[in-house]
Amino acid sequence: MNQRNSQTKLTTLCIGLAIVATSVAIALGVRGPLPALLPLLVFALLHAFAENQIALLPGELGSSAGVMLCMGAMVVFRGTDSYLGPMLVGVAGGLYLPHLLHGEWRKLLFNSSMFGLASLAGTFVFWAVVGDGEVAPRDLLVASLPAALAYSLVSVVLVSMAVALSTDRLFLSVLSVCGRELLAFYPFALLGVFLGQLYLEYGLVLVPLFVVPILVARQAFSAYVALKDQYESTVRILIGALEAKDPYTAGHAERVATFANYIGIELGIPAGRLERLRLAALMHDVGKLVVPNHLLNKPGKLTAEEFALVRKHEDVSVEILTKIDFLAPVAPSASSEAARLTPVADDRGQPIEPYIVAVADAFDAMTSTRAYRKALSQAVAFRELQQNAGKQFHPRVVDALISALTRRGEIYGQGHEQEIHHEDAPEGTTGSAGLGDLVMESARSELVR
Amino acid sequence: MSNQAGRVAGVCFLSVLVAALAQFNDPGSQWSALVLLGGCVAIGDLLMLRPSGRWPLPLSFVFVMVLVRAANTAEFAIVIASAFALLLVLRPADPLVGRFALTFSRLIGAACALAAYQLVLQAPADTAGIGVVMAALTLAGMVEIGIDDATWMIRKRRLSWAVDGRLADLALIASGVLMSVAYQGVGNANGMGLWAPLLFSIPLLAAWYAYERLDAIKRVHEQTIVALSVLPELAGLTIEGHAERVADLSVALGRELGVDRQDLDYLWNAALLHHIGYLCLDVSEGTDSLSSSEATEKGAEILRQAGHLAPVADLLAADGGGIGGQILRVASTYDELAWGENSGAQAALDALYSGPGFVYDTRVIDALERVVIHNSVPALS
Repeated sequence: MNQRNSQTKLTTLCIGLAIVATSVAIALGVRGPLPALLPLLVFALLHAFAENQIALLPGELGSSAGVMLCMGAMVVFRGTDSYLGPMLVGVAGGLYLPHLLHGEWRKLLFNSSMFGLASLAGTFVFWAVVGDGEVAPRDLLVASLPAALAYSLVSVVLVSMAVALSTDRLFLSVLSVCGRELLAFYPFALLGVFLGQLYLEYGLVLVPLFVVPILVARQAFSAYVALKDQYESTVRILIGALEAKDPYTAGHAERVATFANYIGIELGIPAGRLERLRLAALMHDVGKLVVPNHLLNKPGKLTAEEFALVRKHEDVSVEILTKIDFLAPVAPSASSEAARLTPVADDRGQPIEPYIVAVADAFDAMTSTRAYRKALSQAVAFRELQQNAGKQFHPRVVDALISALTRRGEIYGQGHEQEIHHEDAPEGTTGSAGLGDLVMESARSELVR
Repeated sequence: MSNQAGRVAGVCFLSVLVAALAQFNDPGSQWSALVLLGGCVAIGDLLMLRPSGRWPLPLSFVFVMVLVRAANTAEFAIVIASAFALLLVLRPADPLVGRFALTFSRLIGAACALAAYQLVLQAPADTAGIGVVMAALTLAGMVEIGIDDATWMIRKRRLSWAVDGRLADLALIASGVLMSVAYQGVGNANGMGLWAPLLFSIPLLAAWYAYERLDAIKRVHEQTIVALSVLPELAGLTIEGHAERVADLSVALGRELGVDRQDLDYLWNAALLHHIGYLCLDVSEGTDSLSSSEATEKGAEILRQAGHLAPVADLLAADGGGIGGQILRVASTYDELAWGENSGAQAALDALYSGPGFVYDTRVIDALERVVIHNSVPALS
């Protein structure tokens, strides 16, 4: 019901916007001079081309090329006083080929009208600031900032409305997210102004020179994005191999990576380091690949000899991570020994990542069913983490995990397991936390003896 | 990296300072602008475009292209010489001889670029049309890149006209022409002055950043695969260093047998990961690890889950078919024979030759003999 309602609203928005844009365009065409054909064709084609390349990469460069061409059009059509020119150039940006092919007319209408109106708003501001007559480069510079601001303001507001309607989120919250990028592409807007100026002075010859470097940059970016995906899937096969060996840990690496990421965000770790943390968390158990299968899946107690063999995997994991330069600084993440908080240790100057992975690992181990016991509930796991905070776990990290999960309303553990249930697994005590915890178990059994 | 940022900031500071002094000394002259362009040359030389398959390409060439048009011969000589002299100090990590050689080649490149430009256009050629100016600038850029190429070929002692990564050259020359024309203006059009290098280097910087990221992720990927290749060894399933030696040998054999670059890449990956399947199966029961086709199949299955490794998986699974699979099997067997107990290169070769022809391809064994005996790839005692 709600879904259909918002869909109807979305359709209304698209049609309404298209009607507004069309009537404005008709009014401009009737009242004002028509734009010159050649620059219109050139800039419109380039804009359509630029927006069609956008899907290749999610970076800022995609939208930047678009704003650049609209700004260029603002300069070029100034001489003939034709507001219709920049607007039509903007409209061309909405002609996204996949939308055309799949008949997604709503998106087509919305994007074309949005780009057209944004470009028009920018044009109004730009010409108002520049004024009539000859312009010096300095005037162009001065006018480009408010014009770019008007352009992006219109597009951000309209896009936020559409996003809010289609995802059922509050308009203002979407706006605050989108609004952050309001001036991120200003350098490209500036570039566009000078592209327009150069076009006026030299005609078409310089346009290819302008486009080539941008295309090359884009090509390099998409190669980078593709390779990053490949790397991701290389890491995934590794996890696949791990899970093939030890079905009890299905989904473990993914979840530890997710928890680590939550904690990292909560602690305000910058994006580059978050990526490193995520990879280290994904690969923290890689050394398990060298442990013979029958030991990993052994339900009963391990002999001392077997235990030493199982423990070896952490050293192997650390060794593997150390071989990868990018991950080497956080390699101790794979070792429960190094990530264990000793009471005297303070975290100054020492990377916090190992502690994060340790907490994420322990939390997931407690809230999943293992060969030697069933999953605990989230409340029990939280309590266990809090009790050991400052002793075994980093207190700030424990707090970060708890508040991140509470805020997101996510519940794991008993009754919420995502993996296959193992009915025959013995009920566990609170202390059990995966392989790392076997240390405690064995120490306990030795004490008893 | 932060070192790099420090150097860039240092050059910025220094050139702005000198430019301010020049402006103060003689407000009418264009020396302050030229000094800033010189600073751009120095910074550009610290930032290299690194597309794969091509030698790194410094961004400084673009600013040299601006200078060939903006400065007269004397000014050009002074600015370029001081920019590259500054670079001698800024690359403390490189050996001294290398630094001087590099500077020398850059100076020759810049001089030839200037000569090429002036060959087409007599110095202050304000009457020339934009077509001629663009042609002269393009020629200057091409000469500069050509001389850089030649320097690399001499340094590496290898002739190479690879077309891979040449898109970067295109971007560089296009930006240089654009900047140079916009800086000075042609005919009646006014120049934009220093705005031109400032603005039109944005796309180049974006390309530089993208190539840097690409390079970084490529390195991480390679290192990850090398790190994974050690796992079977750590599990005690293969002899020490097996995977890396087999990878090197396979690539050498592939080259010898004319396998193309992409397939060499697959071969290298397959060789590094060819024992990965053993990790998932229990081989502690004393099965003969070499003949265990089950483990090989398992490995191929694991690799096939990642779409981009499917060709690598095919190499692993290849049952005699495909030259890649043959190379891999020969290299792996040779390595185990040659590095096992009481064996050696010749004994291993003999053992391979005496095996029936349908097990090991004789073309591959011949190539192996050539590689091992003549190039002595693995140093055997």
